Amino acid sequence: MAVTEIKVPDIGDFSDVPVIGIMVAAGDTVEKEDPLIELESDKATMEVPSPVAGTVVELKVVEGDKVSEGSLILTIETAGDAANTSQPAADATSPTRNEQVKPVIADDHADMLVLGSGPGGYTAAFRAADLGLETVLVERYSSLGGVCLNVGCIPSKALLHAAKVITEAEDMTHAGVNFGKPKVDVDALHDWKESVVKKLTGGLSGLAKGRKVQVVEGVGSFEGPNMLAVQTSDGVRKISFDQCVIAAGSEPVKLPFIPHDDDRVIDSTGALELDGVPKRLLVLGGGIIGLEMACVYDALGSKITVVELMDQLIPGADKDIVRPLHKRIEKRYEKILLKTKVTAVEAEKKGLKVTFEGEGGRFEDRFDKILVAVGRTPNGKTIGADKANVAVDERGFVPVDNQMRTNQPHIFAIGDIVGQPMLAHKAVHEGKVAAEVAAGRRRAFDARVIPSVAYTDPEVAWVGMTENEAKASGKKIGKGVFPWAASGRSLSLGRSEGMTKVLFDEEDDRVIGAGIVGPNAGDLIAEVALAIEMGADATDLGHTIHPHPTLSETVNFAAEMFEGTITDLMPPKKRT
Amino acid sequence: MSIIEVKVPDIGDFSDVPVIGIMVAPGDEVQEEDGLVELESDKATMEVPSPAAGKVKEIKVATGDSVSEGSLILVLEAGETSAPVEAPHPEGVQEPEAKAPEAVAPAPVSANGSTAAGQLAPVDETGFARAHASPSVRAFARELGVDLAEIVGKGRNGRILREDVTACFKTAAEAAAPQAGMGIPPIPTVDFSKFGEVEDVEMPRIKKISGPALHRSWLNIPHVTHNEEADITEIDQYRKELDSVAKEQGYRVTLLSFLIKASVSALRTHWEVNSSIHPDGDKLIRKHFYHVGFAADTPNGLMVPVIKEADRKGIIDISKELGELSSKARDGKLKSEDMQGASFTISSLGGIGGTSFTPIVNAPEVAILGVTRSKMAPVWDGEAFQPRNMLPLSLSYDHRAIDGALAARFCATLKHLLGDVRRIIL
Repeated sequence: MAVTEIKVPDIGDFSDVPVIGIMVAAGDTVEKEDPLIELESDKATMEVPSPVAGTVVELKVVEGDKVSEGSLILTIETAGDAANTSQPAADATSPTRNEQVKPVIADDHADMLVLGSGPGGYTAAFRAADLGLETVLVERYSSLGGVCLNVGCIPSKALLHAAKVITEAEDMTHAGVNFGKPKVDVDALHDWKESVVKKLTGGLSGLAKGRKVQVVEGVGSFEGPNMLAVQTSDGVRKISFDQCVIAAGSEPVKLPFIPHDDDRVIDSTGALELDGVPKRLLVLGGGIIGLEMACVYDALGSKITVVELMDQLIPGADKDIVRPLHKRIEKRYEKILLKTKVTAVEAEKKGLKVTFEGEGGRFEDRFDKILVAVGRTPNGKTIGADKANVAVDERGFVPVDNQMRTNQPHIFAIGDIVGQPMLAHKAVHEGKVAAEVAAGRRRAFDARVIPSVAYTDPEVAWVGMTENEAKASGKKIGKGVFPWAASGRSLSLGRSEGMTKVLFDEEDDRVIGAGIVGPNAGDLIAEVALAIEMGADATDLGHTIHPHPTLSETVNFAAEMFEGTITDLMPPKKRT
Repeated sequence: MSIIEVKVPDIGDFSDVPVIGIMVAPGDEVQEEDGLVELESDKATMEVPSPAAGKVKEIKVATGDSVSEGSLILVLEAGETSAPVEAPHPEGVQEPEAKAPEAVAPAPVSANGSTAAGQLAPVDETGFARAHASPSVRAFARELGVDLAEIVGKGRNGRILREDVTACFKTAAEAAAPQAGMGIPPIPTVDFSKFGEVEDVEMPRIKKISGPALHRSWLNIPHVTHNEEADITEIDQYRKELDSVAKEQGYRVTLLSFLIKASVSALRTHWEVNSSIHPDGDKLIRKHFYHVGFAADTPNGLMVPVIKEADRKGIIDISKELGELSSKARDGKLKSEDMQGASFTISSLGGIGGTSFTPIVNAPEVAILGVTRSKMAPVWDGEAFQPRNMLPLSLSYDHRAIDGALAARFCATLKHLLGDVRRIIL
């Protein structure tokens, strides 16, 4: 025999709903699923069924009371399966049940607990703290910042900067400026990169302290809907919480036919470690991460082969935007293999023997290192989500609504773990939404576009609708394309391959997307993102005075190409 | 044992309806027809019953998810034996034990109230996402709970400005707080027990739902009722002939069938009576369909099932359908699609009595025909008084859409049609 407290279950978006009917009285015997009370929201009435069979001990509500999810309704004395009240069975269940009812003592309590300190996680934690919630931030590594700061965006950008200096110096020989062959001290370069990362992560720790956000180092896993256990270096620490943000991120996908335990097989983290410069490097995956690292190792002197399954590099972007990048690296790299897959990798003493399968059939080659950059997989299955009754889909994503709530209204999830695109700036925005909603603000994820950037040379950036998507959806779009060969600023950088393409809604000329390729494309795309969010049209972009000579002018010119008002080129058509 | 994917069945005209309740958990044993999830359309809540007996393996939706016909709800492991209560050996009780934590799981979040406070006002999310409004205006609208989809912006190209959001919020707030200013004064509460014995009797559910709808119509619509009398001596004679044949075949032909048929003809002549007022307020929506609702008195309260495409059906078809819908209404088995889409409504009290009344227009329709009991009355035919069977008609209408002359003409047309059965057929 055990007494179970029956609480109001998840009743959707409602709170403070009145109890309009009580269907049982103390002493009544109820079966599982028997209705106990009736609630009324502004739209419907609903019955709360009994989760267990047993005898009603005490009613805790009366008609007219207002209740929300979690409010105590009544207590039931359970007697095992009501249909068979055989004594031994009931006895067998009671000890465990008692244990479950007994509250677990926590070592610590947080109004808001954030699991993961990547850009999304620390943003959520800091914002929540600023809004007055006692916040605990759980991070498995010793430094804050997650993949982005430690082994992602930031260190890769530092190395890409070095690569850019090397290749630009090389390019200037045509202009009569000759530095000679650069001497690269890989260890010193590595240390410099680390110092950049330290500056930022150190800054984060300072910001956490300044906000009185408690940082707990260790691997977190849910123990219950309001409890997280953290495996720290001094043992398990239990933290109970009122609300929680899951920001546990993602990790690189591993492939079954690749010997990942071999030192010569690396992922993005390994590539950033800069453990020597291989003679021949195979980059598996022609997406953003693979191409950025290819760019670094190319500048450092590796011979690069890129292999991609699809028929173009960076498959998410339009082909015309990727073409200038493709052309440039085609000349610099050893090989770019499209529509080709790797079917086997054998670790040999002399190198890694790789079997490819492409349109031309099967062939083999040997590399000194392989960088596997075929995507990232969410960490949803590693956090004990089931113990908190948080739904996780079969791929490991945690589904959320537009307020970043999981199926448990007090548990939020943000960033890579909730879905594509897995980008730091998306996670940051979601982190703010989650924190503000948790603090009681009415906010939602209302952003319309999320820009993407490949920091390759040239950079490739796109935002909003792509031409491929427009075509697939059958939407009528207008297009303004400005080739950078006509931009004085671009030519004076010694580069002419860039292009700015802006897409418009044919109906009202509003900006709906853009693709930009060329040096600094990643910076230029922000203007178009703002234009889309503001609902700007072609004239808005065309009539905004852009400074001359800059690359930012190309956005203005692309709008004028669409409008037919361009004068720096022949307008493609007369519109106005 | 086999795995069954349970999907949302045909739920009528609805799509993207929210899941408002999940009645089972993984591991639960369910019987065929047991409720699995509860969905909510704008008119009714409905349970999706289990198509088979078995054990719930995995739930694929969460409360708040929107689903449509064909959406996957859950995966069921169907058993040949439909979960008999097994002998009292320990494994048998292991399952409910495992579920116990889930039952008491929901967190005491609302203790500090913050989760509930961050709750969004329900808006048309698709429309909201398309609205011509900047990020700051969108955030402001979320804060106030204003639906951007319903605002026509005053900015250039219909851009929604901060002021538009404020204005919309004010209008809504004023409408919601009638006590303020010129609003309706509330009726003071009285303690009746001072005067004698009283008891509170719960209103039936339907009445609770229809009450606010009627109140809304009454407050929003400038109602006028036009009264008329129609001579149904001959039509009723004909009806009786049809009815005696019908009785043998198990259905009845009532005057309502003729009223529906005649109304459709009159609505064709006066299309405005079959219209709705456009939300903009400056247009009428002309409907090229004739779906006639009829008020049905049921033990649970007033319900209004709808005869769809009444213009394409004959008296016999309509009579049969009336019978079916009425009995469904009485048994509480009407589906929400049975009650949707009416372009005109008839409320007949003829079976009970009365000489005239003021029905309330079933908004967003613009007119409703009330009918009371017919009686034999002396009618002057130019030479002498003749005994004629006269039927009182009471047409309530929305004066914004229909003016008095039109209402009078509509009733005259109706009277003319009811005067001779041959005219209805035309």
